[in-house]
Amino acid sequence: MADVTLRGIRKSYGSLEVVHGVDLDIKSGEFVVFVGPSGCGKSTLLRMIAGLEPISGGEISIGGRVVNDVPSPQRGISMVFQSYALYPHMSVYDNMAFGLKLAKTPKAEVDQRVREAARILQIEDYLERMPKALSGGQRQRVAIGRAIVRNPKVFLFDEPLSNLDASLRAQTRVEIAKLHDTLDATMIYVTHDQVEAMTLADRIVVLNAGKIEQVGSPLELYRNPVNTFVAGFIASQRMNFLPVVVEGGQLRLVDGKALPLAHPQLAKAVTLGVRPEHLQLASPETAHFSGTLSVIEQFGEYALAYVELASGELMTVKLDGAPDLQLHERVHIGLPADGVHLFDAEGRALR
Amino acid sequence: MSLMKNQANPWLTSNLLVLGLGMLPALLLIGVLLYFTAWAFAFSFTDLALVGRKSVEWSWVGLQNFERLFTRRGFLESLWTTVIFVFFSAIVGQSVLGFLLAALLRGTQSTIKTVVEVCIMLGWLLPDIVAAFLWSATTSQTGLINSLIIVPLGFPPVNFINDYALPVVTIANIWKGTAWSYLLFSAALDSVSREVVEAAKVDGATAFQRIWLVMLPIIRPHIATNMLFITIWTFTYFPLIFAMTGGGPGTQTQTLAVFLYNQSFSRGNLGFGSAISVAMLVIVGLLSLVYLRMLREPK
Repeated sequence: MADVTLRGIRKSYGSLEVVHGVDLDIKSGEFVVFVGPSGCGKSTLLRMIAGLEPISGGEISIGGRVVNDVPSPQRGISMVFQSYALYPHMSVYDNMAFGLKLAKTPKAEVDQRVREAARILQIEDYLERMPKALSGGQRQRVAIGRAIVRNPKVFLFDEPLSNLDASLRAQTRVEIAKLHDTLDATMIYVTHDQVEAMTLADRIVVLNAGKIEQVGSPLELYRNPVNTFVAGFIASQRMNFLPVVVEGGQLRLVDGKALPLAHPQLAKAVTLGVRPEHLQLASPETAHFSGTLSVIEQFGEYALAYVELASGELMTVKLDGAPDLQLHERVHIGLPADGVHLFDAEGRALR
Repeated sequence: MSLMKNQANPWLTSNLLVLGLGMLPALLLIGVLLYFTAWAFAFSFTDLALVGRKSVEWSWVGLQNFERLFTRRGFLESLWTTVIFVFFSAIVGQSVLGFLLAALLRGTQSTIKTVVEVCIMLGWLLPDIVAAFLWSATTSQTGLINSLIIVPLGFPPVNFINDYALPVVTIANIWKGTAWSYLLFSAALDSVSREVVEAAKVDGATAFQRIWLVMLPIIRPHIATNMLFITIWTFTYFPLIFAMTGGGPGTQTQTLAVFLYNQSFSRGNLGFGSAISVAMLVIVGLLSLVYLRMLREPK
């Protein structure tokens, strides 16, 4: 267990800078998830912590020791790769024992640690098998097992679930959460999947174009996104954004409809954001928006209604249960009392 | 399977004559190959000669030619020369050098890589006779090495091709054949997942251990295939050595292929030559078996 500190971390390939000065404090035992669209620099950042990628600028410390020039194996980290990266010519046992054998660990201890990890991950039955005789989920466990036996201070995960099918992914997600609880180790986890980020993280780091957009607990990010990027990225259904204008202290939609909202910085608002799950159906008299239902997706437990407003904007509304709505029907939507976000011209949230 | 049969043209399947005609080119080719092999095998038991009376009135001599392989000087000596030549030029030289180059230049996009690739490809693409001339001209008493290095440094000139004949042809063959191993190993190393190598790095493997314990075992089938090819090729390789030294000085560079040529066409002993070629076939066959075992997956 150790804390990890990033100070002004930069990465450039030639003249192209892809990570522009990242500062981050990761506390000992914390589960931190780096999330962002592809190409945002999250994997590069992880690989710099792992020592697989040279650092162009700044300082990385693990457990209080600056590790910029420390080779990977001496950093006290273990890494789980997206492709599992098992050694195809070694049995499951040898895959897990490889690092320990290289470190000249006594045989009895190697055996004890491999069997302990195998027990935790329930892979004792196929220790003698070769990786190619395993399913994707089993390989993933072996890869995690290989990380565990080295008893690292920090675990690094590079999109470990993206090669698994949906149901296995959900199951493995729960297992990783349990594992974090059991091992009580610092974990840094990279994903582009915001569901993994929300469910696993103590804190989420949202990255975009090589910069941190926001750091916070999943619920903090969900409730108080600092800008439109984070607001649009976090949560399963993308937040609705509507252009607004302010006239005489009144917030109005582009088509002129006034919205009864009070806010200290109302004058700066240019975008209104509201999550699909916070919108509700309303009667024509109390509705804030009206439009025609262009698509409805029924999921049984909830439905997603896509409503086209007169201004041409498409709004997503998440409705509980299985609402009885007809296509092209006129739908009236009401805004919630809270849960409405306002953003300024730069996309920053108005607080 | 039955569906496939139904899809085939009924006119084709019902007409044996057409089928036979279609197979004719393949049958001919296989026939010719078998004919020559059988010819060599049959005449290895005769005293057939290239010219003179015995070129017409040859007679069966039983195992006499094969006895001569072991009782007379020449064959065993040439076999030993061939083994040394194959071992140092193909297995050690081409294979190891090709692998090292492939491993070192892996993933780099530098000018050095381009230069090295062009150099070794040139060796491969040059006709054997041209290459032989180049090497002779470079290593002779008045050659490039002497006039550029040895003599300017104040040493007396060394006739490399005469004094160190076997090492010189070995080096020439390494230069000539490394491209093949390099290309094959480059492709093989590209198939090794980058993440697996990185995992080994995180696990604490040094650069040497990553190659020895991870990359080499993964590309083991490629290594065996490469060994199989270059061993067979080098074992029977003729033009470069023959053009450079003709097997000499003395019999220093007389590999089996050169020995076979000398016996069959200089001395005209076609029967004995056939016996040599049968013996070479057996040796190469046995070597191939060894490599094919290596190709098998470990249990």
